[in-house]
Amino acid sequence: MALSLQFPVSTPRQASLEISKLTPGYIASSFSLQSPSTSSLHSLGTSSSIAMAVKKSSRRWRAAKTVAMAAAANEVSNRKVLIVNTNSGGHAVIGFWLAKDLVAAGHEVTVMTVGEESSDKMKKPPFSRFSELRDLGVSTVWGDPKDVGAAVGGKSFHAVLDNNGKDLDAVKPVVDWAKSQGVEQFLFISSAGIYKTSDEPPHLEGDPVKADAGHVGVEDYISKLAFKFCSSFRPQYMTGSGNNKDCEEWFFDRIVRDKPVPIPSPGIRVTNIAHVSDLSSMITLAIGKPSASNATIFNAVSDHAVTFDGLVRLCARAAAKEAKIVHYDAKALGIDAKKAFPFRNMHFYAEPRAAKEKLGWTSSINLSEALKERYEEYIKIGRDKKDIKFEIDDTILSKVG
Amino acid sequence: MQATDRTRLRTQAVRRVSIVTTASSDTPAKKILMMGGTRFIGVYLARLLVKAGHEVTLFTRGKTPVTQKIASETDQEYAEYSSKVKHIQGDRQDFDGMKSKIASAGFEIVYDINGREAVEVEPIIDAIPSLKQYIYCSSAGVYLKSDLLPHFEVDATDPKSRHKGKLDTEALLQSKGVPWTSIRPVYIYGPLNYNPVEEWFFHRLKAGRPIPIPNSGLQITQLGHVKDLADAFVRVLDNPTAFGQVYNISGAKYVTFAGIARACAKAGGFPTPELVHYNPKDFDFGKKKSFPLRDQHFFTSIEKAKNDLGWSPKYGLVDGLTDSYNLDFGLGTFRKAADFSTDDMILEKLGIKVAVPA
Repeated sequence: MALSLQFPVSTPRQASLEISKLTPGYIASSFSLQSPSTSSLHSLGTSSSIAMAVKKSSRRWRAAKTVAMAAAANEVSNRKVLIVNTNSGGHAVIGFWLAKDLVAAGHEVTVMTVGEESSDKMKKPPFSRFSELRDLGVSTVWGDPKDVGAAVGGKSFHAVLDNNGKDLDAVKPVVDWAKSQGVEQFLFISSAGIYKTSDEPPHLEGDPVKADAGHVGVEDYISKLAFKFCSSFRPQYMTGSGNNKDCEEWFFDRIVRDKPVPIPSPGIRVTNIAHVSDLSSMITLAIGKPSASNATIFNAVSDHAVTFDGLVRLCARAAAKEAKIVHYDAKALGIDAKKAFPFRNMHFYAEPRAAKEKLGWTSSINLSEALKERYEEYIKIGRDKKDIKFEIDDTILSKVG
Repeated sequence: MQATDRTRLRTQAVRRVSIVTTASSDTPAKKILMMGGTRFIGVYLARLLVKAGHEVTLFTRGKTPVTQKIASETDQEYAEYSSKVKHIQGDRQDFDGMKSKIASAGFEIVYDINGREAVEVEPIIDAIPSLKQYIYCSSAGVYLKSDLLPHFEVDATDPKSRHKGKLDTEALLQSKGVPWTSIRPVYIYGPLNYNPVEEWFFHRLKAGRPIPIPNSGLQITQLGHVKDLADAFVRVLDNPTAFGQVYNISGAKYVTFAGIARACAKAGGFPTPELVHYNPKDFDFGKKKSFPLRDQHFFTSIEKAKNDLGWSPKYGLVDGLTDSYNLDFGLGTFRKAADFSTDDMILEKLGIKVAVPA
């Protein structure tokens, strides 16, 4: 690939560094660069930040005075945080990473997983790795959202995050309990799936949502309950270690076995795949800055769109293999794209503008890097050797001819 | 007024002060040389600069009248502008001639709206050794095509792109040591647009014709109103934050090709258009363009400009297209006459008949 002109920043710029968590082998940062001549970074003296040399990469040169100021200091520290976590599905991994980030940021964390500790669901990641949380001092409990008090043994919390429910039936008991306990800050993991489709991407916070969506009902209920602070986070798709639901694995399964990758036409449809660490850093910032994050909706997504075809290419690059894309017209062939393909068969693209503007959040890992990391783990756990049936693929390929 | 009231108001006023430096009407008057300024972007930008009290000289060949009244200004506003703005006639491709015309005029700032190649820019910088800032209209077309979008200013650029000259110019500016700022617009639209973006759609909507869209129509692009672009150009003036910086300038939201057709219809009060999708590979259009936009995703992030310059686009897409319609096409003016020849080729091949209005 021909190399191109990179744009160096030639003027000294104001900067501040905040590293909101420190976990071995993993650094996330929200920062902008100080003077290029010194290229040194200084700590901000928040209870959680540490000065570190960070390898400069061109993607991270998005310095801005306003961002620096927003990221400058947490408002609160040492919060007692309860995460009510789902026991399955794409969002399960959020609680796992968030717990670690919150501990690194100096908060005290309890994770209440819905259901029973003895259930079969707990044998899958991230639950199978909860000892990692306990080693960090996180309290892991199990229980029923209808009786959070019993599960947490009468503990009190500054902040409660519901990462479990999709509708008011599931979340109302948690919200009501939190309100009755005088919890200051209530946070809810909603979904970017509630945005109405539009000719004008991306989905932005404040854009119209589907009034009958369960998550919308929850967001409305929470906002009317007059918590001191509340926020809602709308994720799309996530990748990351400990994920409970396949994401990029669907692509690796085919690429690594030299199978064609069937993509519903047109392959230029875009989606948004975030690394879960970008979500956990965002929520951690919101908990550390309750005023800044109050009464705000945050798209909990990466700051890049990727096309379906592009995702195949990026996965292939991560696997250092060639990939063959086969496009098919799902409708014309009578294929149910929901079963045949892991992502919504439409443009589905939100951007994390509120997080950047209000929290000084920045993305720390781009999709290329994330996929390389994920591929290494894919191989490490031996999934490339797993015997997988590709029945729907075979149907598609036979119809396409 | 109570003492507490005064304090409260003062505090509020202090809080309202932007922490971002902007260069607007607070900037001391500058002597500005604008390369271009008579066709589109410069028409709006020069007016803003003159209004802000700067001395603006347009350098053009004189093929287009130096000033023309535009639909959105009053006679008095036009009189004021046309009496104040200055002009140097010349050909910027005649480097020596140009240099002699612009040297020793005491220009402090150059706005280069129509420069294409680095060789055109170097003589200007050489002719004005005391130049305080060179502000260049580049293009987001310089970005290397990517599977990850939007394009941010730090992203890879394409040395093979059609806009290579813009890229070379940015590199030249960097190397010359003069403070410089480069603006990269995406698709610009607005009244007086000479690139047939909205005009292309308006012609078809007015004629009641179906709108042929290449492939799925889900290609995502970005339109930016020329007045928002002009505003951004003003904000980088004499603004040290902007020295050595490149900024993407366009609309706050992106839009699909099909979405542009629908937005243009709304803007002009036309009914929802019929869209006809075709595969361009099935046709040989010769030298003619069957669609005004490149057949790919093409959009940028404008967050850097928002953060650095305190700028944000004032026009949403439908609002902006309505502005363009009301002040240009809707008044019966356009740059290129309607040419439906490629449309007819497409419709014929697809077996679609066009109802001819009585």
